[in-house]
Amino acid sequence: MTQKSPKLPSEPRDLFPGALELMILQTLHRQPMHGYAMVQHIQQRSRDLLQVEEGSLYPALQRLLKANLVDAEWTISASNRRVRTYSITPDGTKHLEREVSRFEQMLEGISLVLAPNAS
Amino acid sequence: MMNRFRRMFSRSRLAADLSEEMQQHLEEKIEALVESGMPRNEAVHSARRAFGNATLIEQRSREVWMWPFIESICADIKFALRQLRKSPGFAAVAFLTLAIGIGANTAIFSLMNGLLLRPLPVADADQLVVLRMDQDRELPGYNFSAPLFRGLERQHKIFSDVFAFSGRPNFQVREGSTNESVRGMLASGEFFQALDIPPLIGRYLTPVDDRIGGNPEGLAALVSEGFWQRWFHRDPKVVGRKLIIANVPFTVVGVMPKRFIGADPTQRPEIYVPLSAEPIIDAPENWIAGGVNFHWLTVMARRKSEISLQQTNAALLPMSMPIAQAQVSDGNWIAEAEKGEFHFTAEPGARGFTFLRMFFRKPLIAVFVMCGGILLLACLNLASLLTARSAARERELATRLALGATRARLIQQLLTESLLITLVGTMGGLAMAPLVARPLASMLMSGFSNGSLDISLDMRVFLFVAAIAAGSTLLIGLIPALQATEGNLNDHIKNGQHSRLTYARQRILVRLLVLSEVALTMVLVVGAGLLGTSLVKLYHSNLGFDPRGLVNVTFNMAKQPLNGDALTRLYQTMSNQIGHMPGVKEISWERIIPMTGETWDNIYAAPGGSARDTFENRVGPGYFLTMRIPVIAGREFQWTDTKPSGLKVILNRAAAKQLFPGKDALGQQVQNVDAKALYEVIGVVGDTKYDDLANSSPAMAYLPITQVSDTNLNEKKPSYTAVVRIDGPVAPLAVAARSLAVRLAPTIPAPAITTMDSVMNDSISSQRMMALLSLFFAGCALLITAIGLYGTLAYATARRITEIGVRMALGAQRAQVAAMVFRENARVAIFGCVAGLVAAILASRVLARFLYEISPHDPWVLLCSAGILLAIAAVASTIPALRAASIDPMVALRAE
Repeated sequence: MTQKSPKLPSEPRDLFPGALELMILQTLHRQPMHGYAMVQHIQQRSRDLLQVEEGSLYPALQRLLKANLVDAEWTISASNRRVRTYSITPDGTKHLEREVSRFEQMLEGISLVLAPNAS
Repeated sequence: MMNRFRRMFSRSRLAADLSEEMQQHLEEKIEALVESGMPRNEAVHSARRAFGNATLIEQRSREVWMWPFIESICADIKFALRQLRKSPGFAAVAFLTLAIGIGANTAIFSLMNGLLLRPLPVADADQLVVLRMDQDRELPGYNFSAPLFRGLERQHKIFSDVFAFSGRPNFQVREGSTNESVRGMLASGEFFQALDIPPLIGRYLTPVDDRIGGNPEGLAALVSEGFWQRWFHRDPKVVGRKLIIANVPFTVVGVMPKRFIGADPTQRPEIYVPLSAEPIIDAPENWIAGGVNFHWLTVMARRKSEISLQQTNAALLPMSMPIAQAQVSDGNWIAEAEKGEFHFTAEPGARGFTFLRMFFRKPLIAVFVMCGGILLLACLNLASLLTARSAARERELATRLALGATRARLIQQLLTESLLITLVGTMGGLAMAPLVARPLASMLMSGFSNGSLDISLDMRVFLFVAAIAAGSTLLIGLIPALQATEGNLNDHIKNGQHSRLTYARQRILVRLLVLSEVALTMVLVVGAGLLGTSLVKLYHSNLGFDPRGLVNVTFNMAKQPLNGDALTRLYQTMSNQIGHMPGVKEISWERIIPMTGETWDNIYAAPGGSARDTFENRVGPGYFLTMRIPVIAGREFQWTDTKPSGLKVILNRAAAKQLFPGKDALGQQVQNVDAKALYEVIGVVGDTKYDDLANSSPAMAYLPITQVSDTNLNEKKPSYTAVVRIDGPVAPLAVAARSLAVRLAPTIPAPAITTMDSVMNDSISSQRMMALLSLFFAGCALLITAIGLYGTLAYATARRITEIGVRMALGAQRAQVAAMVFRENARVAIFGCVAGLVAAILASRVLARFLYEISPHDPWVLLCSAGILLAIAAVASTIPALRAASIDPMVALRAE
């Protein structure tokens, strides 16, 4: 099952587990929005480096709902559509802060190891 | 958590939200693409591609909300049901064997619960104690005499209440001009306050009632709810109404509710009267007047809550002799008691007291062990079948492991399957239990006319059932589950049917299971063989008389006006009249019906010879002819053998030999040592069984009913049983005997009628119960083992089809193939038999107590058991062997 085939570096990467949730929370932290808008936002912000399969947003959203990190309600969008708008909860904000700092630590660790001029 | 609950139950709304949301997303995307200039149909495709597999995503989103554990169990149950439906044969076997195992265990346990375990339904039952008397190394005495009880009754330093009771099956209650026999109980003053259940109506009996002559208003009686309904038609003003018991008026003072069962869980008295009314109830006898030599009372007490059982006994020890000295005037008795360190002992009495416990504890426990064996067998059988079957499911399980299932998850699923099997089996067993328990209880109680056993299912029984069901589930499911899920999954997938290593190990496990099955069955079959043979021997044992066509008609004469010779003349008249009834061949009289366990004995001696304890019976003229007991020398009694003609006795052969060794007994004198009376031996008759079928024929002396003693209170108004030999049905005789009693002795209750056959059956009820049950269980065990042998071999052979195909292709003959398959089981069966034989020989010592004239190592029983078991094993193994032999090698190889 863990078949390995070399991938070209230019191909979009798979995300690590939990990364999508983190990005959703960050997005919602700026402002509440609905699913489609979130996908657009994430792709723009990542300058299309991250290719998110749009559908995979929804299981992630359900997990966040279940964990009480986000809330959802039906609203009417600016384009006059009935959309389900998500907003971050206080719990979600706390979780985001914690996870971001952990992520930064990890990133720092990885970049230290990868740095070419390691002593 | 609340949030989760709410969402859990509004899951359909959640799903609707999700689909709508996803739909909106797609539409928005498509619109955006169309706006950017893409043709519509292309935009639709592109949007879908970017979105991914919508169905899968929706599924996964919904899974987020599920409760994984519970829902996986639901899925498991569905899957298990499907699996069972796929193999209905296996399901039926599993269900039936478990239902039998669990049903039998539940039935026996409910009997044990009713008789041995259930506490009395009173408050603080654990404060109750049963008192007994210990002296020397004799058996503990639970039967107190009245004086000793009255001495104990005053000890309120350690006990809050002390009470005694004695049941009577036949209170004579007058109804119109006739009398009816009603189950009653004599209860001492503190009986009801110790058990303390409020009466339904009126009041209960108190110490004030328990005085000679009763309370100031007279004799009081308390009735049960059942009697109140039957006799008084639930009259709310029943208090103050009169009951004529034993020709004496008693006043009803109250009604006890149904839940009050007294202190003996097997007696259900309908009327309670004070203990001091005993001389009225037992008239013309008087057991209270019998003093310290009459042992007839069960004594119990309620401890004070602050005094422990140990402290109670410590306090009783120094009190015992002083109480006895104060109550007993007989110097000899006191001297004996002092020598034997006579003392009272208290033992836990929360469950009340019944003599039946002594009779049935051991047989019940023995049967319980047999039942446990059957259940164990059923479980072993299912475990072996499941193990064999899970071998066939190896590839399925391996695939699931590969797809990411954890081992725990698979074990959970396999256990669910066995849980389902046991659940269904348990329900079947519970439904079956009363069907088994009720006839068993009545079989057990058949010898005890005034007993009844409450075998209802209570919490304790349900807990027991739950425990055995859980145990069975684990036993059935865990071994195969652990077995099936272990090992390297790659091997499973790669090799499939040929994973030799695990298969070999599995085969050993299955064989071990089947082997223990065979061994266990062997033990059960040997046990059944021994018990069955001994029952047959009991039935065919030489009674010394012919029980067939013999009917006992007991007339209770204690409360009618005639005495002495006048009563004897009444018996003679009745004799003549019964003798002329149609179908009656002979009639005579006896005081004690043989085989009822009742005994009467006295010490006899030949002049100058040694004194011998000899059993007695008082019989009428023509008794030996009626009973078909051979008269070896001399003659029978006659109506003319009156007292003035000189006291006469007839000895049986054993007594004649004992009293007059080497001499002719006929015409000799024998002396009743205690009564100092001399008797002339006028006849010698054949030996007969007396009190118990299992005992050998004792030495006996027969006295004539025409010469009853004037001094013995017991013989003032003797009640005799007419022994009637009839030709044809009993019913006409019963009707005729009743009308005869009404005509000749209108004040006596209707005569009690039993056939000698039923007396014999009752006398060996526990042996009969054990033998019949063990035969039934052995039959079940054989069936289960046959199924096990067949099933495991069939599964094993199914796995070997390819191998067998190859063998045949290489030239193996069909007979060889059949023999090869057959041998697999033959080895298991033979080893199992041997192991079982060894176990049976070791275990059968336990049975020795229940056996009659047969050694627990009887070679015939052992051989026959092994023979039967091996024959059944052979039949069960032949079918798979023949099927293996009929494999077509071409088909077998092509299938691979």
